[in-house]
Amino acid sequence: MIRDITLGQYYPGESWIHRLDARIKIIWTFVYIISLFVVRDFRGYIPVLVTLALIIGISGVPLKFILKGLKPIFLIIVFTFTINMFMTKGIPLLSFGFLTITEEGLYNALFMGSRLVLLIIGSSLLTLATKPINLTDGIEKLLSPGQKIGIPAHELAMMMTIALRFIPTLLEETDKIMKAQMARGADFESGNLLNRAKSLIPLLVPLFISAFRIAQDLAMAMEARCYRGGSHRTRMNGMKLKKKDAAASVLIALYLVVIIAQAQGLFHWLIRFL
Amino acid sequence: MSEMIRIDDLVYQYRREDQLEPVNAVNHVSINIERGSFTAIIGKNGSGKSTLAKNINALLLPSGGAIYVKGFNTADETKLWEIRQTAGMVFQNPDNQLVSTIVEDDVAFGPENLGIDPDEIRQRVDDSLYAVNMYEERKKAPHLLSGGQKQRIAIAGVIAMRPECIILDEPTAMLDPHGRYEVMEIIEKLNREGITILLITHFMDEAARADRVIIMDQGEISLDGTPIEVFGHADEIKKLGLDVPFAVDMAHRLRKRGIEIPQNIIDSEELAEYIAEKVKKNHIAAAAKIPSHKDDPTITVREDPVIEVKNLTHVYSEGMPYESTALKEISFRIERGSFVGIIGHTGSGKSTLIQHLNGLLKPKSGSIFINGVDITAKDIPMREIRRKIGLVFQYPEYQLFEETVHKDVAFGPLNLGLSQEEADLRVKEAIELVGLNYEEIAQRSPFELSGGQKRRVAIAGVIAMKPQILILDEPTAGLDPKAHADILKMIEALHDRENISILLVSHNMGDIARLADKVLVMDRGSLALTGTPAEVFANAERLEALGLGLPPAAEMMKALKNRGVSVPQDTLTIDAAEEELSLLMKNNLIG
Repeated sequence: MIRDITLGQYYPGESWIHRLDARIKIIWTFVYIISLFVVRDFRGYIPVLVTLALIIGISGVPLKFILKGLKPIFLIIVFTFTINMFMTKGIPLLSFGFLTITEEGLYNALFMGSRLVLLIIGSSLLTLATKPINLTDGIEKLLSPGQKIGIPAHELAMMMTIALRFIPTLLEETDKIMKAQMARGADFESGNLLNRAKSLIPLLVPLFISAFRIAQDLAMAMEARCYRGGSHRTRMNGMKLKKKDAAASVLIALYLVVIIAQAQGLFHWLIRFL
Repeated sequence: MSEMIRIDDLVYQYRREDQLEPVNAVNHVSINIERGSFTAIIGKNGSGKSTLAKNINALLLPSGGAIYVKGFNTADETKLWEIRQTAGMVFQNPDNQLVSTIVEDDVAFGPENLGIDPDEIRQRVDDSLYAVNMYEERKKAPHLLSGGQKQRIAIAGVIAMRPECIILDEPTAMLDPHGRYEVMEIIEKLNREGITILLITHFMDEAARADRVIIMDQGEISLDGTPIEVFGHADEIKKLGLDVPFAVDMAHRLRKRGIEIPQNIIDSEELAEYIAEKVKKNHIAAAAKIPSHKDDPTITVREDPVIEVKNLTHVYSEGMPYESTALKEISFRIERGSFVGIIGHTGSGKSTLIQHLNGLLKPKSGSIFINGVDITAKDIPMREIRRKIGLVFQYPEYQLFEETVHKDVAFGPLNLGLSQEEADLRVKEAIELVGLNYEEIAQRSPFELSGGQKRRVAIAGVIAMKPQILILDEPTAGLDPKAHADILKMIEALHDRENISILLVSHNMGDIARLADKVLVMDRGSLALTGTPAEVFANAERLEALGLGLPPAAEMMKALKNRGVSVPQDTLTIDAAEEELSLLMKNNLIG
């Protein structure tokens, strides 16, 4: 089941998008998210969709794989859609008892629903096309100016790296403990909610103990390898911006201009002017 | 030679929660380690050897006395990073010491912390990866590597800091024989290149490769010298709950029978060489063959299979791109009351197989009959299967979770639907069967017990379910020699006295040869060989091709045969080998 969640997963590849500096991709994701809230009507989605389609095409990540990422948040989408559909006042279209669907409601529901779907697809592309380790490096670099005002950039990135490193280890551990307790007759699947919650104790206690043991071992190993926080530290693969990163930055700026122009109705004005 | 590490009257104290007086984990120890030397430290769990190692790396600071690394006092905080860089440390658990999600980034971790220039780091990382033969895997994620590979990465991470000394705290304890071999090769190579090695280990054959062996007991040094000097005190070492290498043990036994063996023999090849020379000089015929109990015809007469596996096939992640066949058409039967050894290198399918026998995994095809009932059928209640078959996983102590030992052991019986009274009875019985004192231990927390005790409690948790068949996956992994021997004795007793059929998965060929009456050899998901230990271990070449070895006694016999001395090759245990060799040598002396 855990394997089904593609949100936050990495899809290995060597595309132009994959090779971009992580910082550029993080910034792009932010610009993209902001742009979704700048857009005011369906026509505004056209440049968004075109850009998204281009990026997906270049990245080589299969569309099916990306859409699978929508599965875990399907409920949220349905919820947003329904709320918008029924809760917007306006010209009634259909009515079931006390519930009324209005024209504006339907429009809003579709608009908000699309925004949510686009939001998730766009941001999942960031993790799909960026190695987790590069992502943490990128975050560290982007946050590092904030260190002066007390943002622990290095510590945050270190925590993320360690989390990424030990997720597979802990999953393996969970599987092992679960099987071992099942061999002792434990039942994780049947019974009511309370019983099921109780049945997790033989799994969770050893798992916590394992996690603490790992933490202790790791802390000792890191200390033995002269770890002393972010100061004095250098990096083997320092992040250097390349030509393609500059090109990407220009494209991002262009995208932002197009989106704002569209939202302000500047295109109509331009067409009329010509 | 100059001095690398000087330990001056080191005392390390710690206070246990339940005791007022502090305990001396290391008690007035003084050692000098020469530059470029290879020192092995052996000792039981809790003998203070790990504490000593952590003191050298300044991870712990002395309560008394002092340690100097390259002349720097470890208590001097300003020299801390120089000390840790000079004397790098590798730990036991291969998983828990790698920091990064990419191999090469992990190797770079140390130099990055030292603030070294990026180009220089790149160079060092590549050099270090070449040094441990892991350059090809530099872009991989650590969790996809084998234990031996992970441990080599950990070593590379230390080498990248350009240390002059490496301290390894039981680096091979959690590895299979192949991984152990790989790591030991690297350690010896580094030593040849001039790096001082301090190796803490439970494996005597590893210690025998060092040029100095120190034995620790209760925080003190009890023996210190060359391997030949130290292992000369075989009786004393055994009294400390430790082992000696096979050849030392054998030579010692032969000497007791009045046969002269030079004191400087510590490995099997040397012993075989010496014996072969003696025997050939006198043109003595081989000793008479001693009938071994393995030829006893009564063993093969039984026809009451407790487990019968037919054409068992299992595929992982079927239909996915990374699908892999873990078991291929496996068929075998196990007689009631037998003791079966399962061997095979890591990834050969042993774990997958034993999980099927317990119903934890379902086969793709094929069937498994337990007492004549097919447990792969859909309507079989799992509880029934688990009542009959107990499964003890590797490192079972990691499953303990209750507040008291009693409650933990009762978990299984209560899951079977037994009443509290009945479960209580079984708990008491099971705890005593694993050789622990019920009154003493039942109300204690399982987490405050020693490693060996925890493991016994975990095994008791399975035995309390009164299985007819007990499957154990490497039950002695990571234990010191004393605890190892105790656990095996306990399993033997369960087999002999309680008449439980045993399936033992192990990498220790000596244990398998001594205990099992049938051996299954797994290779890439198939059964490569089956038969009595004598039959299986007769295929030395085949086993070697599968990455498996022979029991030490058989290894010795093979070494003699290779030197033209004809000795029975089905001699598998040290006792049998002792008989053979003493007969051979006595005939030799008379002639």
